[in-house]
Amino acid sequence: MNKNRRFIIGASIIVAAVAYLVYTGIRETSVYYLTIDEFLSRRTAVAGEGVRVAGRVGADSMRWNAGTLDLGFRLANFDNTDGVNVQYNGVLPDMFAEGRDVIVEGTYGHEGVFHAKTLMTSCPSKYEAEVPHEAEAPRPAEAPKS
Amino acid sequence: MIEVGLLALRLALIAAGYAVLASIFGARKRRPDLVASGRAAAYVVHGLIVVAAAVLLRALLQHDFSLEYVAAYSSSTLPTNYTVAALWGGQQGSLLFWTLILTSMSSLVLLQNRDRNEALMPYVTATLMTTAVFFLGLLVFITDPFQRLPVPAREGADLNPLLQNYWMMIHPPSLYLGYVGCSVPFAFAIAALATGRLGDVWIRTTRRWTLFAWFFLSVGNMLGGRWAYEVLGWGGYWAWDPVENAAFMPWLACTAFLHSVMIQEKRNMLKMWNMVLVLLTFTLTIFGTFLTRSGVVSSVHSFTQSGLGPYFIGFLVTVIAVSVTLLVIRRPLLRSDNEIDSFLSREAAFLFNNLLLVGIAFATFWGTVFPVISEAVRGVKITVGPPFFNKVNAPLGLALLFMTGVGPVIAWRRASARNLRRAFVVPLAVGFAAGLILLAAGVRHYYALVCFSLAGFVLTTIVLEFYRGTRARQALMGEPPVTALAHLVNKNRRRYGGYVIHVGVVMAFVGIAASAAFRIEEQHSMKAGDSIEVGGYTLTYQGMRSSDTPHTASMLAEITVARGGQVLTTMYPEKRFYKRQQQPTTEIALRTTLREDLYLVLGSYDDKSGLMTLQVFINPLVVWLWLGGITMVLGTMIVMMPTAAEQRALAAALAVEERAFA
Repeated sequence: MNKNRRFIIGASIIVAAVAYLVYTGIRETSVYYLTIDEFLSRRTAVAGEGVRVAGRVGADSMRWNAGTLDLGFRLANFDNTDGVNVQYNGVLPDMFAEGRDVIVEGTYGHEGVFHAKTLMTSCPSKYEAEVPHEAEAPRPAEAPKS
Repeated sequence: MIEVGLLALRLALIAAGYAVLASIFGARKRRPDLVASGRAAAYVVHGLIVVAAAVLLRALLQHDFSLEYVAAYSSSTLPTNYTVAALWGGQQGSLLFWTLILTSMSSLVLLQNRDRNEALMPYVTATLMTTAVFFLGLLVFITDPFQRLPVPAREGADLNPLLQNYWMMIHPPSLYLGYVGCSVPFAFAIAALATGRLGDVWIRTTRRWTLFAWFFLSVGNMLGGRWAYEVLGWGGYWAWDPVENAAFMPWLACTAFLHSVMIQEKRNMLKMWNMVLVLLTFTLTIFGTFLTRSGVVSSVHSFTQSGLGPYFIGFLVTVIAVSVTLLVIRRPLLRSDNEIDSFLSREAAFLFNNLLLVGIAFATFWGTVFPVISEAVRGVKITVGPPFFNKVNAPLGLALLFMTGVGPVIAWRRASARNLRRAFVVPLAVGFAAGLILLAAGVRHYYALVCFSLAGFVLTTIVLEFYRGTRARQALMGEPPVTALAHLVNKNRRRYGGYVIHVGVVMAFVGIAASAAFRIEEQHSMKAGDSIEVGGYTLTYQGMRSSDTPHTASMLAEITVARGGQVLTTMYPEKRFYKRQQQPTTEIALRTTLREDLYLVLGSYDDKSGLMTLQVFINPLVVWLWLGGITMVLGTMIVMMPTAAEQRALAAALAVEERAFA
């Protein structure tokens, strides 16, 4: 019995460690995933925290500077009546274009602009396999934190 | 011809159903004739699936665009090898392919055991055929590979460009061999539970199958990572994408099982735990197959909303319910003969190893399904990405790496101080020294430091084992060193092959840690003639080249790579445009050395300004990940080779069991 008890304690420590890692991991790294409508209705509430928003690239809104790699566009809802301005710096994803669906991840600044760190576009689906394409802004050139 | 395929599937479903019923009924009522007919039915199912697959393959190769599947996943300009790969490139074809592998393995298992394991085999047949019934049910009633189009298409939509590379030829088949391979130990486990024959026989019989499945799961995962690295062009090889996780979790559970089985064989312990692991591994393979097909969690691979989700869940629930019921009923027989005596023992070390592996699998599982649960329970949509998985799995992985050095050398039952000293003093010293040297060299990234120190520790334990073993043989047999080493490995393939696998694991950890911690990533906008300095390389953009084929049109950036004034090579990162799907893809340019990878991506090209965006990644030591994978493969091949000692052990276990049940 004594040996068994030692075991249960040892195993419980590992189990507890895993549970703790998972719990804090979720809490610290998970990011809200909102549709553009949900985002627009509570943008001030989520300002400053990391968030992911799915919407559409507004017509006539794309401004791409190939020299500085700066991209600006309006992330609009599906009938293009409302939206938010997005700024991104980095490589333009392959499928990015006006009128296409896109998912942005980043933070909404209090000045009213969404600073995107990541853009995800998806192929116009003609067949079942749908593959999203991701592009990320570069991380700083020194070793990133784990 | 298509009708033949359709008929074959329907007949196979009926035959599989018959095989299940005849086997179970025959076993329970002691009717060997029924059991034999169940076996025959299983062979028939195999034959019919071969026919169905051949029909679909023929339709693909003949470009029969009257079939929806052929029209959706191939075209007349698609190269032949990718046309063959289209067999598993789409939903229905991949399910048929799964079933083909399952029924082939069933036939092989039946053949291997035609003179053995008489009591277990009917239940093995029944379990394998029940799985076949599920997949055939899907193929016959829900997703028909032979569905015709109302009007035959004039041309096909072509295989997704991201799948048009040689990885598509090898990654899915390998992974499927691994996934389906896990059904065999599972079937034997269910048979052992059903018959109450819970000794070693079922484990020894399925050992090679488990290794085989593990081998292909390892290869499949590695190939998937390499594919992502070479084709997806984001600089990395693993994104903790739900489908990547779906292939990783069974691998973890299978690894845990392979280790804990050694404890059962040696000391007759952990029987219940072994059963749970086998059931868990199989459940995770079905879950993985489900994740890839249901679109429940969005990912790179998802075959999107296909409506198959509920059926997979139903099958999963059934598998879990039956397994748990059997476990509960047989609990008394699964009680172990021995207990763990001390924390400082091999039994305890293996148990900790198992807990860590299962812990990583749990964390991965939770991170993968949490978004779905969160939405269902709280109505809030959340994404869980690489930061979560890295944060949780990195420390667990490092703990696992440590155990890799401890488990193989610590003594059974209770390690004495002497054993601990002899086994660990030198390796610990080497590990610490490695850490100190790196610290002195300026490395401050803590995870990387710990990883490299542990790598030093583990490698030293392995080197010591080979060294001491060889010296012992030299002393005992008077053999010269190389012969002694060769004989040592040959007589003890499981142990020394296992060490080779562990070396591969260490190499992989080193590659992963270095490429994650010390990677350099930059983006530059360049005009023809511009040069940039990245990570010691001078990259000069010479200009754009282009090329054109009926299938694709490409733009290539000519980049000269130099270091210290000396030109090393010219690289051509490319943007390729697939004409039929009107879809661009990025083809990276890669220069690999043992020290680092130079990885170039052509981001975009603006004709008017002549500006090209170049993304540069430098991934230190990443080749060691792939070399580690190859080492694991070689080690597994050593372990899989049968030895006379093993045959004797299996025969002995069989004899014991026959006496017990006579």
